[in-house]
Amino acid sequence: MSEPSGPSTPHTEPTRRTPSTATGPGRVLVAVYAIFALAATARAGVQLVRDWHEAPLAYGLSALAAVIYVVATVALARGRHRLATVAVSTELIGVLVVGAFSLADPAAFPRATVWSAFGQGYGFVPLVLPVLGLLWLRRTAPPRAPGPGPAS
Amino acid sequence: MVVAAPACATGTPGDPRLGCRAPSLARRGASRARTTLWTVLTPLALAVVALALLLALWAAAFALRDRAVVLRQLWGAAVVEAALVVQAIVAVAVVVGGAGVDEPATFWGYVACSLIVLPIAAAWAFAERTRWSSVVLLVAAVTVAFLQWRLLQVWGAP
Repeated sequence: MSEPSGPSTPHTEPTRRTPSTATGPGRVLVAVYAIFALAATARAGVQLVRDWHEAPLAYGLSALAAVIYVVATVALARGRHRLATVAVSTELIGVLVVGAFSLADPAAFPRATVWSAFGQGYGFVPLVLPVLGLLWLRRTAPPRAPGPGPAS
Repeated sequence: MVVAAPACATGTPGDPRLGCRAPSLARRGASRARTTLWTVLTPLALAVVALALLLALWAAAFALRDRAVVLRQLWGAAVVEAALVVQAIVAVAVVVGGAGVDEPATFWGYVACSLIVLPIAAAWAFAERTRWSSVVLLVAAVTVAFLQWRLLQVWGAP
């Protein structure tokens, strides 16, 4: 009987090929990204359709964030390393810039976005997520691309 | 001295003999349906939150012990999912029956999202036979609990 539990099979570490971005810890990352992609897309969709005029900047940024989360999710899940790096980097810049601006000039953001106040409304997950994403992408970097390794 | 008839208190049957201004029949119906939504869905949502958090704890224990998700946990997830399906059906029935929700789009978004999270986590539990499937199940269960909590906020008090 083939239970997925495999009660006594020792936990075998997969052979150390280049780990894909989508397995192991990457699967958790993809899951969290997928949840944020879903949440941000749904939220932006509602905002854009229903009350775009109330806060075009905030809602436009919500839509942008949604697109970036979707791209990052798909890229991570399919092992598109470079695309994932671009999306996750953009996301990090986005959360930092929007977070800083939303605190410096709250009047420009009458409605919250995912990234307002560095993602405070979402338990700061939007701030932590791209950092974890970039660390994971560095760890799974394909060997042929040398990339900027840690200096010294 | 003429005293204006007071408005009927919420929840009291608009009996004309009581001398209060009864709201229109349609509004009374909507209000009653709304009360039903509140009284039926709140305990359901709280039950789902409790079950989902239990599942999250279970998954966390497995993740800490470096174990992958086992089939028994997926049965647990199925119980939570069943409660979510019941909740969705009740929500549709009650809202079709005339109750309004404060933010319909958000409300239905949460209902739909709640339903798809656990099946995806379960599918990954088969694909990923490492501790990370436990972490995914943990994330999924916490997400379901969070969505339920938001759902309680979004449909608003009667």
